[in-house]
Amino acid sequence: MRSQKLLYVIPVLLCATILFAGGFANSEPDGAAESSSEELSSSSEENFDKMMAVLMHKRCVNCHPNDNIPKQGEDSHPHYFGMARGEGNLGYQATTCNTCHQSENNDYSGVPGAPEWSLAPESMKWEGLTRTEIAESMLDPKRNGGRTHHEVMEHLTEHELVLWAWEPGIDAAGNPRELPPVPVDEYIEAVKAWFEEGAVIPAE
Amino acid sequence: MTEKKKVSRRKFLIRGGLGTIGVLAVGTYVFRNPLRRMGLEMAETMIPPYSGSGTEANLWFEITKENKVVLHSPKVEMGQGSFTSFAQMVADELDVNLDQVQVIGAATATGIVDALSTGGSLSVASLWLPLREMAATVREMLKGEAAKQMGVDASSLSTKDGTIEGGGKSMTYAEVAAGVTEWKLPKTPELRPVKDYKYIGQPIKRVDLEAKVFGDPIFGMDAEMPDMLHACVIRPEHVGATFKSADTSKAESMPGVVKIVQKEDWVGVVAETYAQAQAAKMTIKVDWDVPKQWTEEDIRGLLQVGKGNKMVTQKKGGAVDPADEDVVSMEFKSPIGAHAQIEPNGAVALVKDGSATIILSTQVIGVTQKQVSEALGLPLDKVNVIPTYLGGGFGRRLNTVHAVQAAQMSQEVGKPVKYFFTRKEEFQHDTFRPPTHHIMRGKLGADGYLDSLEHHYASGDVAINSVIMPAALHSILGTDVGAMRGGNIMYRGTPKYRAVQWHTTLPFATSWWRSLGLLANTFAIESFVDEMAIKAGKNPVEFRLASIGDEGADKRLKAVIEKAGESYRDEASNGRAMGFAASVDAGAPCAHVAEVSIENKEIKVHKVLCVFDCGIAVNPDQVRAQCEGSIVMGMSGAMHEKMTLKDGQLYPTIYGPYNMTLLRHAPKDVEVILIQGDDKPYPVGEPPMGPIGAAIANAVRRLTGERLTDLPLRLS
Amino acid sequence: MKISFTINGQAQSIEIEDGNTPLLWVVRDMLDLKGTKFGCGKAACGACTLHVDGEAIRSCSYAVKFAEGKNVTTIEGLGTRENPHPVQQAWVEHVVPQCGYCQPGFMMATAALLEKNPNPTDEDIDNNIINVCRCATYVRMRKAIHRAAELTQSANQTS
Repeated sequence: MRSQKLLYVIPVLLCATILFAGGFANSEPDGAAESSSEELSSSSEENFDKMMAVLMHKRCVNCHPNDNIPKQGEDSHPHYFGMARGEGNLGYQATTCNTCHQSENNDYSGVPGAPEWSLAPESMKWEGLTRTEIAESMLDPKRNGGRTHHEVMEHLTEHELVLWAWEPGIDAAGNPRELPPVPVDEYIEAVKAWFEEGAVIPAE
Repeated sequence: MTEKKKVSRRKFLIRGGLGTIGVLAVGTYVFRNPLRRMGLEMAETMIPPYSGSGTEANLWFEITKENKVVLHSPKVEMGQGSFTSFAQMVADELDVNLDQVQVIGAATATGIVDALSTGGSLSVASLWLPLREMAATVREMLKGEAAKQMGVDASSLSTKDGTIEGGGKSMTYAEVAAGVTEWKLPKTPELRPVKDYKYIGQPIKRVDLEAKVFGDPIFGMDAEMPDMLHACVIRPEHVGATFKSADTSKAESMPGVVKIVQKEDWVGVVAETYAQAQAAKMTIKVDWDVPKQWTEEDIRGLLQVGKGNKMVTQKKGGAVDPADEDVVSMEFKSPIGAHAQIEPNGAVALVKDGSATIILSTQVIGVTQKQVSEALGLPLDKVNVIPTYLGGGFGRRLNTVHAVQAAQMSQEVGKPVKYFFTRKEEFQHDTFRPPTHHIMRGKLGADGYLDSLEHHYASGDVAINSVIMPAALHSILGTDVGAMRGGNIMYRGTPKYRAVQWHTTLPFATSWWRSLGLLANTFAIESFVDEMAIKAGKNPVEFRLASIGDEGADKRLKAVIEKAGESYRDEASNGRAMGFAASVDAGAPCAHVAEVSIENKEIKVHKVLCVFDCGIAVNPDQVRAQCEGSIVMGMSGAMHEKMTLKDGQLYPTIYGPYNMTLLRHAPKDVEVILIQGDDKPYPVGEPPMGPIGAAIANAVRRLTGERLTDLPLRLS
Repeated sequence: MKISFTINGQAQSIEIEDGNTPLLWVVRDMLDLKGTKFGCGKAACGACTLHVDGEAIRSCSYAVKFAEGKNVTTIEGLGTRENPHPVQQAWVEHVVPQCGYCQPGFMMATAALLEKNPNPTDEDIDNNIINVCRCATYVRMRKAIHRAAELTQSANQTS
């Protein structure tokens, strides 16, 4: 499994390097010189775009439901067998998340896994929210577990359960799960940059 | 009133002194009654006389040195409680204590196996007479021999708890039988009155209860042989796909792989462990020829009333005129159903030195033997098939071609091979319950009761194309006798009625699923009858009773409906309503009253009353268990389950997406009332499933006004 | 790699190449304990349920390498004919099994529940006991679970 992970990371890194080094070619207007503040705000918005493209992906939102039911799969259907939040976000007393989900993906069964597998707390419900609302929720210490911006940034870029989204394994039918639309290193860079630039949520 | 069936006895062999096997081995009791002689009527209430088979060496009973009686049962145990009922029947006639009886599944090399199958809910019903007669005969044989050895008259001897006593002396059966090789075969003794039995009729705890509670390794999946390897076979995902070629280059060098077995139309992997076989399987690329991507619309298009082969299975009086505005017409549908039994199919096979041993969960031991013998070119007596306890049967194991594949793989590697389906293969390569389509037509008479009732229905194969049914049967009968179950009108007091079957063979295998056509047919008929009762403004119980005929069997149906009707209340109240339905299957009438409510658009079933006339209940507790299981499994089929087609593949392929009843769905209150309407045991495993779908739909109708016509039941 | 753990009270060590092999196959095929069953291999049916350090785990989706240093209990270790677990005793009293194949998984799930919640309500049972039984023995199961809770509580009182 380790060798598979490595094989996977290399093209991602390559992609990220090329894209990042090449700048954001698509969004640069033809031949116009940008004022420094516009550059800053446009790159901040790009970073925000990338970050939210990931955070709104089903890989993340499935475990940030707006009710007590985890969602599953590419179609985000309610988790089978009536699994629900239970107490402590860990399922039911004796049938917990860990009854099936371990700290690693299990290729034999197609059951995904990562350390601390559980539902995000109820205050972190994202399902159905716009990206602005999700971003606001993330920055709000009343809803984000009392975290500072720096702590939120660390969580988003270092927590194994978050990073699992890029190694989601294969499903019960043996098909690889869809990855978030932004490669992991590019995402991490974008998140860090966005926070460094003041965590500005664009108006929309 | 007992109708003594005359059975022609061909052979009754005894062999004694079998050394390592046992002290006394009682052999073949063979009698034959070809299926060809059965007419459609018998097919409907079919409890055929037992048609045994086997070679001379085969055993029914052994008496061991420890004075235990081992019954080699020709029927397998798949949860339906056959072993327990047989033990009771043997103990009561052979005069042994129940603890002294051990029931094992007969293997082809040493026992009598059923020529056909274990199924049809026939195990107890068909062996009721022969098994007790045999046990009684053995008892008398032992007495006769003891009399000779003791030098007394046989009439002075008595038997009890495996011991013979008389004239101040006593000998155990084992002592009597030790070393005896010549036995005198007595006339079959009169059987005892049922009321005198000690075990029959009692709610004895299952004989396999502890084995199942303490995790004994009793299932096919648990079988082992020394030096055993593990295998898997690659099966197509698409309906109608055929094998073209396979690229196995990568698999050959995967860890633990012993051999890639390639046959004309399949590829298998044999490896040291199951996990290694699965890992290697994932690297094999098979080129399938998929001529067509079948869709659910395609299937529905094939399977319609008016398409396929037509057979009028029942007719009284003229047909209704659909153009008559007083004729009510309604359509009903049921989906493809998967067996989904928890133990996957598979086998452990060893083929070596011109002989084969197969251990597996099967409902067709004799057929398994025949298929392996033919495929491998081995004589029948060189193929020993050993059945285990089944982790669910339900009709799934009435064809076991995978045993042939396991045997072929073993032949190639020269070692025992264990091969099991993955759950995905179980779901895609099932012999499904076919989807059905129904058109009900009816008309009320001036008196407000049924004047005409017609059931037109289309089904895929159930009996037709099954390996256990002689092809000739269908030519003679012209109908699929499995799809027909529950399809005829049981309200024989109705002036005009008919049942018309339309049959089509579908592009994927469909066959026997617990209760066959009964669940869907009863759903259509009983929902419609209920609707007609509403139209007539009459109580649905009373409405039905008015249309029941006067013959013997009808009286039993009447009694069951009346009894259940006592608990039925027609008005919804406090957010709950009741629904009533009844059916007759294999001569055993059953009625359900279901009480439901609706919560969050979900139908919740709170209570089911089941009134069931199975004749003599050999083990009333196990009969109740079969009623409970039938009801909740019937709920699963009626409310949750649905196989469909997606991208040309049968879908879904795992529990969860294939919705089934869980503990949370089961009614908390299931009451079973047993009525004895005849003096012999009737089929029990399937008949109690009949009414449940309609009973629930009828309750929903009264609660919401909505008439649900499709299974699985879904509120709009 | 070598993996050491305790199973049904006995110390056990196995040598296995692929540490990701599900514990189910190690238990069944290497340790010859057949009571834990294969039903689907996808953690959907629950027939493979056993205990790891007292927690209910579906062994078909649990890599054996995670069992290192842990206590594994299977149905064979839950209780015996001579000394049945209250769950097994209740299962016998109510004659729950029909085909019996799924029953060990249910008993292990129930035992784990009673360990956490000695007096479960019907709703607790509905939420926690989510294995699949095709014979649909659920009606008796519910009664047996309440009876097992009774037996557990009276055992706790006398001890």
